[in-house]
Amino acid sequence: MKKNITTSVPVILAAGLMVNLFFAGSAHAIPAFTRANNVECSTCHTIFPELNEYGEAFLKNGYVYFGKGKKKTAEKPKAPPVTADAKPAAAPAGDSVVKGDGDADLLNKLKAGMMISADAPVTTAAPVQRAEAENSNVAAGGEGKSEGIALSGIPELLPISFTANVHGTYNSKAANEFDFSTQSLKLNAGGNFKEKVGFFGTYFLYTEQPPLADTANTSTVPTNTKSDIGELFVIWRHALETPINIKIGRFQPKLGLWKSNNKLSTTNSYATYKYTVASSLFYVEQPQDAVEANMIFANRLFMAGGVVNRKNQNTKEWYVHTSVKVGGADYLANEPEIDLNKEESILDFLTLTVGGYGYVGTNGYSPLSTPGAAPRQNDYYRAGADVDLLYKLFRLKLSGVIGNDDSPELSSVSPVKSYVAAIEGEYTIQQNLIGSLRFEYQDDAYNIVRRYIPTLAYNPIENLKVVAEYKHESGFAYRTHTEVDNKIGTLGVTFSF
Amino acid sequence: MKRYVTLAVFITLSVYSIAEARLKVVGRGAKMNFSADGLPEMYKPSFDIMQIKCIKCHTMERTVIAIQTGRAPITGQPFNKQAVKAYGIKMLRKPDSNMNKKEIRDVVVLLNYILDENAK
Repeated sequence: MKKNITTSVPVILAAGLMVNLFFAGSAHAIPAFTRANNVECSTCHTIFPELNEYGEAFLKNGYVYFGKGKKKTAEKPKAPPVTADAKPAAAPAGDSVVKGDGDADLLNKLKAGMMISADAPVTTAAPVQRAEAENSNVAAGGEGKSEGIALSGIPELLPISFTANVHGTYNSKAANEFDFSTQSLKLNAGGNFKEKVGFFGTYFLYTEQPPLADTANTSTVPTNTKSDIGELFVIWRHALETPINIKIGRFQPKLGLWKSNNKLSTTNSYATYKYTVASSLFYVEQPQDAVEANMIFANRLFMAGGVVNRKNQNTKEWYVHTSVKVGGADYLANEPEIDLNKEESILDFLTLTVGGYGYVGTNGYSPLSTPGAAPRQNDYYRAGADVDLLYKLFRLKLSGVIGNDDSPELSSVSPVKSYVAAIEGEYTIQQNLIGSLRFEYQDDAYNIVRRYIPTLAYNPIENLKVVAEYKHESGFAYRTHTEVDNKIGTLGVTFSF
Repeated sequence: MKRYVTLAVFITLSVYSIAEARLKVVGRGAKMNFSADGLPEMYKPSFDIMQIKCIKCHTMERTVIAIQTGRAPITGQPFNKQAVKAYGIKMLRKPDSNMNKKEIRDVVVLLNYILDENAK
């Protein structure tokens, strides 16, 4: 009887939730980038926060919308020019030459914005429609904002948004088998100043932590809230008029192809990015205080390298990343050249991205952190490769990493190697319904674990998603000689505003 | 009197010819669309495809405004023949757009025609 109730309650809750969501009215996604650029969430996301290729381009472009901040010399017209007797539809903003002091580019844009309205071709539409069109035109790309704000470089709209997670988790081995929890509330900020400096930050206003042990907690609301900076950095775009961007602050060093939240699942990170070895807290997607230089070369090659500051130690850690993209939109969001007059080919729809990375570091207790004590340090490295393959509705992600830690327990030198791999297939059932199946293998020298993670993500409104996911984890902890066998189901709702 | 009639006929004909050169727009807001009445017969099947397939993700208002202003209303990027082709390729590759290459090509050709007409 107890079992029946335990299993039926989540099903009833899920059904009720889905019914509500199916009949929810329409709404617009409004987080920071959407507000600033006046675009839909789906411009950059499949189902948020997973990025599509345009989101990747936006990220690599330092949070400047596609086509903006380009050097004029880099723009080459590909289409045949308009015939001589035809009146141009509208002058592109960058083509207007305006002389004067101050920010010449910005003045060009401001004045071009006014000229665009004046030069807009007369149409047969009703005056009201024409006015709407012109208003839309001025608003597009933020050209219509006040000159004072624009010249100051301050974003016209406060560039912040919030993301919240609510989960229901079923774990037969937990004390609280069905745990309904308000998981997190995160503040996000991001954008750019005059297209010269990009910035991004996340601040955890609340994350639910495991309850304190042995305390008779009679409250239904955990008191162990946590406030912390996830990431906070600025990017000097095209430093000194070079293609190089300089990123500084706390961020996830560019190692793998996907940032930590760039996936369908809300609870299961890729093992290749998240695994740790013994006492060492290092993992690939860990935000760290760092300086990084990165650049896009020939539109399809991305390179990054950086140095990480290890706290309380006079050592620095180093990393490099390279990725190349074949097919699909390039890293500047330019569409590939496809001849529309030819028959369909597999290559028209195929996008392949391959990336590789390496990280070298040292952590542990140094003489500086513990004066007089002998250093107990762990020298380690990670080397990994990722593949992202997209063909029509199918997406395949492959990820693998090998690692070496000289002394992960910081007690004696006992080098261990780790081997972790993940493969995930994703299928777009509908534009707002995506399913995936992931398999992970993790041998971190202490455990050998296999995970099977099916996920179904539904996006009834662009800024709200419902994810049902299940994780079956099985393996063996061969230092403690215990079996690993976990089965965890999660139904989560994430929304951004 | 004859002079006034001649002038009126002249003005009427002038206005009429301008109206014919550009595709008429009907409706307002989200219901705004091009009128198929002024379209040559050869473009009407493409127009039907555009009306059915494109509104799966956005209103026709967006397309009309882009043609009228020469700028994509959401992004503010120029909307010319080069952009039309790029949008076509983007839609071809977009998962679940449900458009094949021939349909994309037909709609691109249609939009190029409307752009040309609008520029007259």
